[in-house]
Order: sequence, then structure tokens, then C-alpha cells
Amino acid sequence: MADVQPTRMELIKLRRRIKMAVNGHALLKMKRDGLIMEFREILEEAKTVIGGMIEKYEKAQEKMTLAKAIDGVLVVRAVSIACVSEPQFSIKKKNIMGVTVPVIKREPIRRKVIQREYGVTSTTARIDEAVAAYEELVDAILAVAEIETTVKRLIEEIDKTRRRVNALEFRVIPNMEDTARFITFKLEELDRETIISLKKLKAKMAAREVAEAEA
Amino acid sequence: MGRIVQRKYRRTVGDGMSRVSVIGDPDFNTGFRLVGICDTIEVEDEAQLPEAIEKVLGQEGIVIIKYDFYKNLPIPLKMKIDESLEPTFVKVGGEGGVEELRDKIRKAIGVDLWK
Repeated sequence: MADVQPTRMELIKLRRRIKMAVNGHALLKMKRDGLIMEFREILEEAKTVIGGMIEKYEKAQEKMTLAKAIDGVLVVRAVSIACVSEPQFSIKKKNIMGVTVPVIKREPIRRKVIQREYGVTSTTARIDEAVAAYEELVDAILAVAEIETTVKRLIEEIDKTRRRVNALEFRVIPNMEDTARFITFKLEELDRETIISLKKLKAKMAAREVAEAEA
Repeated sequence: MGRIVQRKYRRTVGDGMSRVSVIGDPDFNTGFRLVGICDTIEVEDEAQLPEAIEKVLGQEGIVIIKYDFYKNLPIPLKMKIDESLEPTFVKVGGEGGVEELRDKIRKAIGVDLWK
């Protein structure tokens, strides 16, 4: 506070800054509330999507173990080498209140048995089932990738905004108000000093005039 | 002694499309190979994991990683994975990273909304 010049100009500038900070604080608070509302909606979706993915993984593993146990690991591996057409998807970006989040556009991953690249006649239904289970799993994983990133980004933004709101509310604005108060007191003090010295001067002049009149 | 086997087959991804990579043990990877994901990195020993992750960090798309592997990673690498958006990491198996997400929410909002 000591490095502030207690002048009227400084006070005016400071008052302007306080006004701006208060405005900014209100806006950031609204942004934070908006983000939290958005977040709560997405969170519900995230819960179901991630829960679904975990379930599908367990199911897929079960089918896979069955296929490996009955048909043999080598057969399953041989089939897997034949599969080379990758799941098709592209990642686009979307904006939620200034937060860029990915949107995954995916083409249907589930294929019909005849569309798969391995021989249908030489393999068993168990392998088909395992492949179908994994197709569903990959579909779920893509959905999870999208929603998990969105949730993470929103959390980061909420945390950042919350810090800013708190810093403005408890640190920046009170500090500036203290400085403004300090300047006001100092200016009032100066005013009083001037008045006193003027009064003394006036008394002195009056005394001198009286002395001159008497002489 | 463990080893890393990175299998790359011919690319079948169309233009403008992103791709998926998988990091896991051979058993874990076979399932994803069945769907046609060619970019699989087989890690048999956890000591080889950091190297495998460094390999995929530069590329785009999505990386599927086995949750058990992720759990035992050194903390700096875990943070790198958590913060990375390109590629996006998805942990599969076990709880699938729910606990980490929950912790983050608790820290940022102050309340455990994940119930």
C-alpha cells in the first residue's frame, strides 16, 4: 500500500478498476454456474456410458475365453490376423462455453457375419460371438473416449474459473478497496491539514493587522 | 525377459479418419485384433510400458490401454496420459478409470457428484 501515490487521479483510476473487477467477478461466477450445470448433465450420461463399457468388456472377455478354450488360442489368433479393416471414425471439435471438446463421429462398427474378413465356414459360432462382443466393446470405447475427455475438460475449466472467482472475491477486490480507503483517508487528512494551516495563516494575518492598526 | 512387439499391418483407415491403438498383453490385444484394429503394441513386461507409451504419445486418435497396466505406471507418466487429448487414452478393464475421474470431480467441485 505504501507504493501508492495518494492522489485524486490514482483514486479515480482505482475506482474504475474496482468497478471492472466487480463486473468481471459477476460474469465469471455466472460462467462457473453455467459450466457446473452443463457438467451435471454430461455426468449423468458419462456414468451410463462408462458403466456400459465396463459391462461390455466383461462380456467380451467371457466370450473370448470361451472361444479360446473350445476352439483353441491358435485358431482365434489366426482369425484375428485376417481382420484388417479398421473401425472408421473421425474426431471433430465442439465448443461448450469456451471449452473445446471432441466429438467422435463413428460409422457403425457392428458388421454382419458375412462382412467379416475371416472364413465363415471354417470357424465356429463362438468366434462370431466373441467378435460381435468386441465390436460392441469398441463402439462403447469410442463413446467413452468422447465423454471422458469432455468431462475432464469441463472439470479443468470449472476448477480454473472457481480459482479466478475466489481470487477476485477474496484477494483482488478487497486489496483494491483497502488501497482506495487508504487514499481517501490520506486525501481527507491533507484537506484537514490545509484547512488548519489556512486558519493559522488567517489568525496570523488578523493579528498583524491589529498590530498595524494599533501602531 | 519381456519384449515389446509392435504389430503394424497395412493401413485400412480412410482419409480424414482417426485411428485406434491398443496397448496391452497379447491376450488383451487379440480381442481388438478381431475387430480389425491393426495398431497393437504387445507388452509382456511392465518395465517396457513407458517405452510403449512414449511411442504412442505423438500420434493422433485414440489409445486403448489395459487398466491394470495404467494403474502401475509411474505418476508422471500417469499424469501425461490423463492430460493428453491427442491421443485420447481410454482405460479398459477393472473399473475403467472411474476412480481417477471421481477424484478429479471431488477436487474441482468439492462434492462427490459421482454416486
